[in-house]
Amino acid sequence: MYPKWLWRVLALPGIAWLIALFLVPFYAVIGVALGGVDPIFQNPVPAWNPLQWKFSSLLDTLEGFLPGHEYWRIFLRTTEYVAVAVSVCLLIGYPVAYYVSRHARRSKPWLIALLVLPFWISYLMRMLAWTNLFAPAGLVNELLELAHVTRNPPDWLNGNPVSVILALVYGYIPYLILPLLAALDRIDQSLLDAARDLGASPLQTFLRVTLPLSKTGVLGAVVVIGLPMFGDYYTPNVVSGSPQTSMIGNLIDIFFHGGPQPSIGASLTLILTMFLAALTAYYLFTVNRAHRESAP
Amino acid sequence: MRAGVCEGSEVTRVSRRQALKSLAAAGIAAAAQGLARADSQPLGPGGIPLARPDRPVALPLNAAPIPSGLPPERGGTFKLFNYPDYISKAMVEEFGRQHDVSMELSIFSNMDEAVTRMASRLVRPDVTNISHERLAQAVAGKLIRPLNLDYIPNLKTHIWQSLQSPFYDVGSRYTIPYVVYATGIGWRSDKISEDIARMDNPWSIFWRSQRYKGYVGILDDDRQALSLAMLYRGFYDINTEDPAVIERALVDLSALIPICNPKVNTTQASTLPTGESWLHEADSGDILGSYFTERPAGYDGSSLRFWAAPKGKGPVNSDCWAILAATEKPVLAHLWLNYLLEPRFAYRNFLDIGYQPPQVSLTVDSLLEKKVIPENLRTTIFTDETFGIGSIHFSTLTSRGNALWQKTYARFMAGT
Repeated sequence: MYPKWLWRVLALPGIAWLIALFLVPFYAVIGVALGGVDPIFQNPVPAWNPLQWKFSSLLDTLEGFLPGHEYWRIFLRTTEYVAVAVSVCLLIGYPVAYYVSRHARRSKPWLIALLVLPFWISYLMRMLAWTNLFAPAGLVNELLELAHVTRNPPDWLNGNPVSVILALVYGYIPYLILPLLAALDRIDQSLLDAARDLGASPLQTFLRVTLPLSKTGVLGAVVVIGLPMFGDYYTPNVVSGSPQTSMIGNLIDIFFHGGPQPSIGASLTLILTMFLAALTAYYLFTVNRAHRESAP
Repeated sequence: MRAGVCEGSEVTRVSRRQALKSLAAAGIAAAAQGLARADSQPLGPGGIPLARPDRPVALPLNAAPIPSGLPPERGGTFKLFNYPDYISKAMVEEFGRQHDVSMELSIFSNMDEAVTRMASRLVRPDVTNISHERLAQAVAGKLIRPLNLDYIPNLKTHIWQSLQSPFYDVGSRYTIPYVVYATGIGWRSDKISEDIARMDNPWSIFWRSQRYKGYVGILDDDRQALSLAMLYRGFYDINTEDPAVIERALVDLSALIPICNPKVNTTQASTLPTGESWLHEADSGDILGSYFTERPAGYDGSSLRFWAAPKGKGPVNSDCWAILAATEKPVLAHLWLNYLLEPRFAYRNFLDIGYQPPQVSLTVDSLLEKKVIPENLRTTIFTDETFGIGSIHFSTLTSRGNALWQKTYARFMAGT
């Protein structure tokens, strides 16, 4: 028998990683949001001591998220883009994951390798490739014209929300499929057989067994892609560049990139984090409930 | 090259007492004299008055310059800090060979980043490129050291009169001028039918560009973007801190979104020659740089155009170099500054980056005669008369003004 503490020790590297690369930087963001600015250089001066925290910048920024205020519209736009992009990712990704998990058989390793393939190329490079494909005289428009779909192909890169959403889908979909695939793989085959033996049609089996059992996987995958999408600023920059399609990440970039108001950038980050934490809490609640229900 | 914004101290209208206290903290006693003369001027970092062409500022000496006649340091590494692609690499290497040092070039993407990294000692360069609107900050924070101009004779010999003692650094106590440029309009005459330069109000082209939707761009910089709208309205105080004026500029700038949905970026040097953009707010150096180095195969650049407003009606600017206070090679650093001002270096550097050095010998006629630039780009080259009193520059703001510009720009970028 191994001593009980051994398993806890195995978690230490992960905990150290979490502290060094998440908790400390996150505390620094809090310190910047609630701290001050160097009077000469205008650099952020983080307030490390909670007793010295000043909440005025955070509260002002929070007020900006109220309907009609300065950040309301961009927050709404970001939420819309992410909601649509995640939905499209699910519509495309779930059937793909389902097929690979249930029906791929011997080709499964190859299909998984293909799904991993996009990770070989950096996100940035993949987005830049899109600008060539969707340029006014790019391949996509040439194909549309050749196929006589339209004589005036759309200007994809001209502040077009559709382009931003499609680019988000394209960029993040592999991150959705892989955890979803793992979740579907974990579903006990005997449960599906039992449903079929009890007279359920394939569709009923899917709707009553597979889908409910993959719910936590779906939520997990949505969290995995939804969280980074909310903070994304590079995708709208590359495929649009127009203020009309800016996302909240673009605002954070403006305030963090320079100028005398890094505390606003940090406050925006905190508010976004709080919003996403609420979504993540729902995911954790669902997972816990599923665990409790499945416990013998 | 404008990138990033300028700074002021936390106090907008600091009291005289506060300012003197701040100066004392910075140990800049000499500045008190300048401050005393500048009671009516708004104050920037460290209580240093905000420099304007009609209100020049002699920056307070934060240390003694090095003595004359010292030999240059040899060996080791000489470190430069600069924007990317903003200096001729060949000329950098040649300086290293001349002085038996290895050269190291670190880069920054904007002035905020540069100042932050230098102030927090994340980089320790010997010399740095610096915008004049950041000088007060660098001096008050003792980032840069005073110059001994005995080591920099090229300043008097080869540089425009107006920049030998510029308004932002009277007596060139801390800086030498590097390049000059105007912020204006770049366009493709084969795509844009209007003769922009002959329009009554060329700035208005952006508000009449429905036909060019998708091919219009403005500069991704709070000062340059918002001032475009001010200039369009004939308002020339581009350093204003009046909230009503800045708000009006936001309304006008936002009106561009339904008209032409402008792209907000700084890629004009590459997108104009490739035809990805047809009309773009641009610096003169961008347009020449695009002609020199960014033209795609098969494009001769004959349809590239640039318009800069007449003196006092559009922004002009100059970038500088300064020596870091902490350098261990102060003599070599002075020689570097002198080297930058040598006509041979300046000319070669100009061909590599496209930004014009303020060299007396470099004139539009000489460049046209040598066919270095084509006739259609003669408007990208400026003269000494363009600068000095009567010109308008993006200059240092107070901290409150700076914050106001940034927040307003953020609202534009948020599409609100």
